[in-house]
Amino acid sequence: MAEKLAYLSEEWRVEAEKRLKEVLPPEKMNHITSSMSNIYKNCPGGKEKYFYFNYVKGKLVDLEIGEGKPPAAEFTITGNYDIFAKVTKQEMGSQRALMTGKVKLRGNLVKALKLAAVSDRIQKVLSSIPAVY
Amino acid sequence: MTKQAKDPFFIDFPKRIKSIQKEMAKAKIDVYLGSRLRTLSWTLDAFCPWRSFIVIPVEGLPTAFTFVIDAARIADESWLDEDHVLGFGPLGGQDQIELIINLIKGHLKKNKGRLGIESGMSNYLPEGNLTLFEYEQFKAALPGVTFVNAHTIVDKLSIIKDEGTINRFREASRIVDIGHRAVYKALINGGYKGMTETEIAGLAAYAMRKAGSEWEWSFTGGNEIASGYRTGYAAGACTPATRKKVKAGEPLMIDIHAMFNLCLGDHAHNYLISPATDRQWWHANNFVDMVKLTLKTYHAGITPSTLAQEMIDFADSRGFADYMVPGFEHGIGMMGDEWRIGVNDGPFPYWTNPDHAYQENEVLICAMQYACPEENIGFRYENPILIKKSGCEAMSKFPLRVDEIK
Repeated sequence: MAEKLAYLSEEWRVEAEKRLKEVLPPEKMNHITSSMSNIYKNCPGGKEKYFYFNYVKGKLVDLEIGEGKPPAAEFTITGNYDIFAKVTKQEMGSQRALMTGKVKLRGNLVKALKLAAVSDRIQKVLSSIPAVY
Repeated sequence: MTKQAKDPFFIDFPKRIKSIQKEMAKAKIDVYLGSRLRTLSWTLDAFCPWRSFIVIPVEGLPTAFTFVIDAARIADESWLDEDHVLGFGPLGGQDQIELIINLIKGHLKKNKGRLGIESGMSNYLPEGNLTLFEYEQFKAALPGVTFVNAHTIVDKLSIIKDEGTINRFREASRIVDIGHRAVYKALINGGYKGMTETEIAGLAAYAMRKAGSEWEWSFTGGNEIASGYRTGYAAGACTPATRKKVKAGEPLMIDIHAMFNLCLGDHAHNYLISPATDRQWWHANNFVDMVKLTLKTYHAGITPSTLAQEMIDFADSRGFADYMVPGFEHGIGMMGDEWRIGVNDGPFPYWTNPDHAYQENEVLICAMQYACPEENIGFRYENPILIKKSGCEAMSKFPLRVDEIK
């Protein structure tokens, strides 16, 4: 796939869903049941977007990108678009983004830390999608 | 921890929270932010060694916050579930200030109301009062909130011990007695020769841990052992064990601590290592007689000042008042509550009120220090006592005497 997709576009979402399902079967996702909303502030054009994904027993059952109020999720991560873009491009680690306060996590930290490894796996898959930011 | 009502060590923690909430309502406090170790032990039933907080709304379950590395363990040991014991750490949105502010805001109407905090001063280093920095951070983030120092709510409610707490104290004392027996066995028949204070502290700790003690809880270095001149520091009553060796002809003081489900055993026993002189025995007998009389004198209604006066008068009549440190008790409660008597509302802020009238089912440590530094001799007595209507129950049953080790 040589064509670059616009980051957070519907095409990018479809490709993300396809790759996540292919590369990360339930066993690689530790059969987790959890959900997360990433809230992108200061997107190009000044809008706020969300990127929501929901896993049930390790299976990706929802992957949504939208504007406005995100679906309720176990975890919410809020940050600027450019920081999330850097994380997706793997120019910045998600841990570093959290540890420097560039993004903010809402939700139970103990549970979040248990999911840190699977979260990194998701980021790696997303970073593999050729995209324009 | 103990969760069954039929368990002798059962404590009804949801009831404790409701009793706090009732007092909050009376004081028109919307949210109580507890930060002291004693408050955390009393409400969570789990030991919180790291900076921790409990946020209690006026209705519903509280939420505890602690350093993330210890949150899962506390959730496991506490009666609260993992959704009400949250970890904090240096991550965006997860530091203690931001997490707690968000929760407090969720409990307030339009971000306005009254927040009860815990502030004050203490002789006890790990007390856990809200720090100035924490206070300023919360204050800046909650501009519509009135801050009220409300620690007396927990202090008053925790004075009188319930049955489960009393039984836990009794068990901690039973374990301390096992530690004393282990030390006695190790010292006799010349066993003391070459032994250091630290080794004795460890022997006692091993025996008590074998019997189920969680740790030698005292912040004064765990088990306090003193030998020779160290038993008689002027006005002293704090002797973390050192590498000093026990020697013939010297006194030896063993003050050991066990913890059982956050309740505390604390008993001191004294020895003379043979050969003991008549003068040493004179001091020893003075001390034992003093302790016996003190234990006889405690009862509901007596105050620290009246008891102290009676005891010093007795010591004076026997000619050893110069050697008595004029204090006969310190407070005790669940882990972290190791200082105050009553609500510490005496003439000196946060010190014992000399006119505090002891009530039935208060637990305190009967604590006495006899010190004659010029003769390198001293003795200490400590024992948790349960105040009764017409007397007291000494919880440690190790024989009250000074033993000569031959």
